[in-house]
Amino acid sequence: MIDFLTKIMPNVVENWSGDNGILLGIGQTLYMTFWTTLIGGILGLILGIALVVTEKKGILANAVVYSILDKIVNIFRSIPFVILLAVAFPLTQLLVHTTIGPKGALVPLILGSAPFYARQVQNTLVQVDSGVIESAEALGYGPWTIVFSVYLREGLPDLIRTSVLTIISIIGLTAMAGAVGAGGLGYIAISKGYQRYQNDIIWVCTLLILVIVFIVQGLGDLWARKVDHS
Amino acid sequence: MAAEPIIELKNICVTFKEDKRDVHAVDHVDLSVDRGDIYGVVGYSGAGKSTLIRVINLLQRPTNADASVKVNGTDLLGLDASKLRGERRKIGMIFQHFNLMQSLSIADNVDFALKKAHLSKADRKKRVAELLELVGLTDKADDYPAQLSGGQKQRVGIARALANRPDILISDEATSALDPKTTVAILDLLADLNRKLGLTVVLITHEMDAVKRICNRVAVMEAGRLVETGDLLQIFSQPEAPLTKDFIDTTTHLESALAAVNQQAAIKHLQVGSVLVQLGYQGESTDQPLITELYRRFEVSANILYGNLEILQGTPVGNLLVILSGTPKHTEQALVFMKEQRVSVKVLKSGTEEVSVHD
Repeated sequence: MIDFLTKIMPNVVENWSGDNGILLGIGQTLYMTFWTTLIGGILGLILGIALVVTEKKGILANAVVYSILDKIVNIFRSIPFVILLAVAFPLTQLLVHTTIGPKGALVPLILGSAPFYARQVQNTLVQVDSGVIESAEALGYGPWTIVFSVYLREGLPDLIRTSVLTIISIIGLTAMAGAVGAGGLGYIAISKGYQRYQNDIIWVCTLLILVIVFIVQGLGDLWARKVDHS
Repeated sequence: MAAEPIIELKNICVTFKEDKRDVHAVDHVDLSVDRGDIYGVVGYSGAGKSTLIRVINLLQRPTNADASVKVNGTDLLGLDASKLRGERRKIGMIFQHFNLMQSLSIADNVDFALKKAHLSKADRKKRVAELLELVGLTDKADDYPAQLSGGQKQRVGIARALANRPDILISDEATSALDPKTTVAILDLLADLNRKLGLTVVLITHEMDAVKRICNRVAVMEAGRLVETGDLLQIFSQPEAPLTKDFIDTTTHLESALAAVNQQAAIKHLQVGSVLVQLGYQGESTDQPLITELYRRFEVSANILYGNLEILQGTPVGNLLVILSGTPKHTEQALVFMKEQRVSVKVLKSGTEEVSVHD
């Protein structure tokens, strides 16, 4: 078996484990994806909810707050991610005391994905039936109950779908961050596969990223279907 | 009948700013609803009905400073946000599009209203079961809204609105999205709840049939103003505003019948001594064998062209379009006689054509 694998993809077998190995790369990609999803997800969710409730017809309509948040989201979404990686250096140094490796990539990853997710959350939650929101107000519920029990509950199936989309885009961003030294499968594919002409490494790294994407997509679809009763 | 007002709206204005012009959705309206009333606000769409009833629970705040909103003796405009929410729980509301949570089962949709009811889990469950029984949906508890018909969804809406035992139920076009048969069933349920629970109901609608079926008081709304208010019987038998007449005609079809009747040759060439009259009567006066009496006393014959009889709150209210024919003198006497019998008589057309051959 090993012989067969060595024969068809010698560089993969050689670089499978150990320092800068593919196994470690998988771990680093998952590490970056997980923490970015968690922290960026929470930030994006808060920002997205804030955008929905402060909108003109929102339950806490506030034109000033909305326009500030809206601009922040737009600015961060406009900066190309590779540039953001560089721009975020000082902040990264300040927050995590390193600018390299998977940990160093977290700050730009979060800065890049949170605004993207915030917009997705906003677009999802504005579609929650305004009549249902009104009926909750008529039942005497305040903004907190309406956000948690109506917006997030009614919007959940679509929220799961957009979250999957965001996670997949985060996986893409981790690969890009890898190209500038963050590690992970993207780094291995570029530094070992592309720059040293080891094509088998490129293919395997691509395949592994696809597997992660499919697992995320599959689990997300299952969950969304389970909570969707419309 | 000195009933106590449970809802008192005074001098309500709601003005929306749209681009450069102001839209006066509600324009200096006073509305007083007594405890136990089923109060109907009727008007065409865009009249401001929805905006007006949203003022009752302040989902819509009046935009003028001197408005007053009193519900159950409490001045709602003087409350802070948290106290206002408490008061809102005492005002149930149902909607045209039901506004149920798609993601929750029927039982959970009703339970949703009990979040702040301070009940134990077991008590909440019991209350939900009671409510579902009240609206006849016990067997649908575990279904989801998407599986229900419109009428069933509205029943869930009603159960949810009643969860906190409100004194008042506001109905925002609650039957407008339903078919006629389901509409009647939902209206009857509201009337039933009004009797059983002493629930005060304020409903808005564009269907006079709905008002006729269950309301005891009516307000007619047009362009942000109430053009006419009164008891159902009074509004039906003596409508004053043109819009009120329009609305009544949508259910009696009297005006449309009149238009058709006017096209008939017999009416176009009405002979001297013949008159086309509209007779209106209500209550006991309908028990008189009036038509027979006209012939016996005055030899005036009556040709009924159109008739409509409504039973409003147990009282028959009738309207007839009739041609009375006799000698001019006798016809005149007949009209006087009918007025004495408390029949409202409106002469629509007197005959002018000479009788060519007469014995």
